[in-house]
Amino acid sequence: MQGEFSILRPDGNGYDAEETATFYQDLNLLQVIDRLSGKWGREIRKYFMYLPEDPKEGDYRRAVYGDIKKEPVYRALMAFTEAMNGVDKLRGERTRVSDSLQRSAWLIREAEAYCGAYVALHRELSQAELESEGMLSLLAILTETMDGGYREIHKLTAEALTEIRKMRFVVTYEKARMRVEIRETPGEGAYDKWLNSEAQSEDVTFVNPFLTDAAITELERACLTILKEKNKDFFRRIQTAAKQCERYQKTVLLRFEQEVLYYLSYATLQREMEKAGHHFATPATGDGVRMEAKGLYDIALAIATLSDGRKVIANDFYYGPGERFFVLTGPNQGGKTTFARSLGQLVYLTRMGLDVPAESASVPYFSNIQTHFSVEESVETGRGKLMDELVRLAPMMAGNESETFVVINELFTTAANYDAQIMGKRVLEHFISRGCTGIYVTHLKELAEDRDGVVSLRAMLNDRGIQTFEIRRGEAEDSACAANQVNKYRLSYEQLKERL
Amino acid sequence: MKVCLLYADREALDSENYYDTASIIQDLGLNSLFSTSARKLVYEDGALKKLEKEDPFLTDTLRKVMMVPLTSEDEILFRQEIVADCLEAGTMIGELYRICAETIEKWNELGRTIWEKIRQGNPTLRLISEIRVMHLFCDSLAEIRGVLEKQEHLTSRGLTAFRDEFMKAFSKEREEYVRKGLNDISFYTSGLDQKDEGIDQNIQPRIVFECGLEDGLKFSSIRMEDVSSQSYKFAKHGGIVYKFRKYINSRMPNSFSVEDDGWLVTQSQQLEFGVVSYVIRKLKSVTDEFQSFFDRLRFQAAFYQAAVQMKLHMDRFGLEWCFPKVCDRRDLEFEELREFVMAIEQRVKVIGNTCSLRQKDMLIVTGANQGGKSTFLRSIGIAQVMMQCGLPVTAKSFRSGIFPRIFVHFTRREDSAMNSGRLDEELRRMDGIVEHIGDGSLILLNESFASTTEKEGSLIAYDILRALKEAGVRILTVTHLLSFAKRVYGESKDRPEAGVDFLSAERLPDGTRTFRMVRGEPELTSFGLDLYDEIVEKGLQNRGR
Repeated sequence: MQGEFSILRPDGNGYDAEETATFYQDLNLLQVIDRLSGKWGREIRKYFMYLPEDPKEGDYRRAVYGDIKKEPVYRALMAFTEAMNGVDKLRGERTRVSDSLQRSAWLIREAEAYCGAYVALHRELSQAELESEGMLSLLAILTETMDGGYREIHKLTAEALTEIRKMRFVVTYEKARMRVEIRETPGEGAYDKWLNSEAQSEDVTFVNPFLTDAAITELERACLTILKEKNKDFFRRIQTAAKQCERYQKTVLLRFEQEVLYYLSYATLQREMEKAGHHFATPATGDGVRMEAKGLYDIALAIATLSDGRKVIANDFYYGPGERFFVLTGPNQGGKTTFARSLGQLVYLTRMGLDVPAESASVPYFSNIQTHFSVEESVETGRGKLMDELVRLAPMMAGNESETFVVINELFTTAANYDAQIMGKRVLEHFISRGCTGIYVTHLKELAEDRDGVVSLRAMLNDRGIQTFEIRRGEAEDSACAANQVNKYRLSYEQLKERL
Repeated sequence: MKVCLLYADREALDSENYYDTASIIQDLGLNSLFSTSARKLVYEDGALKKLEKEDPFLTDTLRKVMMVPLTSEDEILFRQEIVADCLEAGTMIGELYRICAETIEKWNELGRTIWEKIRQGNPTLRLISEIRVMHLFCDSLAEIRGVLEKQEHLTSRGLTAFRDEFMKAFSKEREEYVRKGLNDISFYTSGLDQKDEGIDQNIQPRIVFECGLEDGLKFSSIRMEDVSSQSYKFAKHGGIVYKFRKYINSRMPNSFSVEDDGWLVTQSQQLEFGVVSYVIRKLKSVTDEFQSFFDRLRFQAAFYQAAVQMKLHMDRFGLEWCFPKVCDRRDLEFEELREFVMAIEQRVKVIGNTCSLRQKDMLIVTGANQGGKSTFLRSIGIAQVMMQCGLPVTAKSFRSGIFPRIFVHFTRREDSAMNSGRLDEELRRMDGIVEHIGDGSLILLNESFASTTEKEGSLIAYDILRALKEAGVRILTVTHLLSFAKRVYGESKDRPEAGVDFLSAERLPDGTRTFRMVRGEPELTSFGLDLYDEIVEKGLQNRGR
């Protein structure tokens, strides 16, 4: 069943339920998706907004992505996509004109481009070393399609086009009349030659003044009518070729044409970021791997800094045996939230079968990602902030899946310290007892006290008390934030003396 | 096409100008010099007949060019050579200036500015005005070539290079090329110009092109075989002759008429428009390098035109002139230097001064009121500025170093009343100057720090000028601060290595002022009493009679 083939989903199913989970927003994944869909079209959003349930699906994709990252495959697919964009434009041209002869000509052009794109893709992929199940299936389908007529149509249309492009004739406009003569051998363009004898700009050329209109103008048609009488054969051949083209069906691989953008968009972004010095790794997955990464960074932040060259801090981490939850404390603006986000992104991208923003990583299977980030007080609902947080927290805690990755960022900041500690501990204990893995960012150092399954992490300061954005294991401690802020903006007395 | 008449290697006046040019212009009285030089002198039979009105463009040009100092002897010589050539070549520079000015004016009428273009709106109108601008360019450039061709005796580097480059950039061949192109598309503007009226010729286009078909069967890869304007005897539309011709034409095989169908009429006009735009763009590529040429040449020619007129005004006032020479910065020598601005304003031949300073950093001028001290200081300042822009100066000879940084610190006489606000203002100006002091600085001080007590003023002046002198600034100061002058005199007496020299306004024993500066020890009185006597006492006596 060719129509069912999918390069994203081994079972060939669709994407009926577009997920609207809050983690897309909380983990700044929407920023990433916005950037991709801004360049590659809104169509691809639905692929990124769908988190595959079956762990095999992630593996299937990972294998395909591994193939697509290979230079010749990437190039071939990029060229294919570009050619397909061209086909869309040509189709637009065809639907805009009404003259039947002109439509035939556009149809030939379109079929030639479309089949040509597939012929080229097939040729390139046959020569590439493909390993993944998905890409090998694609190649098989392509081979079948080529033999089923694409190659033939491509040849036929290419010949017709050559013939059209070879046609040369001379138009003489004088005494308010146009005279048309077919010319066997191309002329010299005597007047152009003379103009260029002194002109300083060779690149100025005469362009058809009627090009602004896609349809042929009356003047052009009148000339064509004379040409048609003079060369009946030529025009008959065009009509014949056009008839053949109607055979080409452009639905066979429609789904592939769309889905491949999922990989290409991300692979292109990855290349751009790698050029800027960011690392990417294919995560190790499977049963029994523990969650860890080296040089992990926030991909959304890294994208935002692509244009201004700011440095993005990368961090290493691991969950040791029996360790379930990180409790992360430290100074404000110390990179806590960014680190928490990057963990969530790591899980998401692994599930999606894509490479992750790290030097190396291994990620066990998580069926779900749940996030809870504090938000500004909602005017709309009229609820207080604490109330709001609890309302959002309730459904998260109601579930009972254990294979969930949980990211909690600053709960209960408006509650009294004592209350906050108690509530925080209960939340933490709930998720640990359920067997979830995750990270809890908080300003309450009491939460990081030694307990089963909890690891205390701290955002570090350097010896001058300035944020380094490094996250390390270590006991939580109180931090003086005000001095840091002053230092950060170099506003202390000594610093000012230096600056002035 | 470059116009390098101000500098050998570049077109733009992009060097740094003097600091606080407004003060320099005001204190040296340069505005009179600018505006007088902008007035053309008309001679008849060798005698001055009249002065034309001031040309504000020349005034403005002088103000701009003179306030940007040249920084090397070679740059000065480069301009001096051109000025000399222009003086020798009579009307040449004036002609170039006139042609540029007229071209720009006509161009503006045809719609040079973007606003004009928007106003014209219609692309056909715009194309027509482009054709006319092309005609204008061609005529003007040919006229410039005509002027340059006549100049066989040019010797300056600037003008000869300009002439040679112009001859290449707008050669006879290029002119013929542009004219042929314009002639080929003359059908487009035929009947539009007044001079065409009454001609019983009908100009029609002949356009031959070869082309192929593009995807979608539109015409493509068009090659132009012929574009020309054919002249036919005029035949009234619908008349017998017209009908007969039309019948003959209709027998042309493989052809169709474009007269009878509204669409075809429009589209053949589109074709004509396209072809004419194409030809014009090609022709333009030849004249493109002249787009801003007229502006640049006009500006640079304006400077030399003003220089020529400046020299004629010097003659008019009987002022001897010379091209100054560059020497070491610590020297300053001149003979019969006269204050040009005063000559212009008072229409007199002012007294000339002669002076020779060798290896001096500071000149202190003291002496009698109304003795010509300030005039003397100004005359040096004016000559220095003129020298540093390549102009001749009003002296028998003049030698000075190059000072890219000239500062003036003049007390403005009218309100030299003693009050702290004035002193504050003077110090603030001095602060601004100090901020900009650098290599090659010359400062002219005229009665500075006179807005406080003599004692205080002397102390301030002593400290500041000593610091400036130690920083390598050349100082020319006219002062009433006799304690200051005496103190410096005491320190430098019999010590030529101190590099200080003193001049006084000469006053004959009977109190007569000669307006000449003589070398000598500063005196303790500035002979204000003399003046007092002359004005107050004499008045009293007269009344008493």
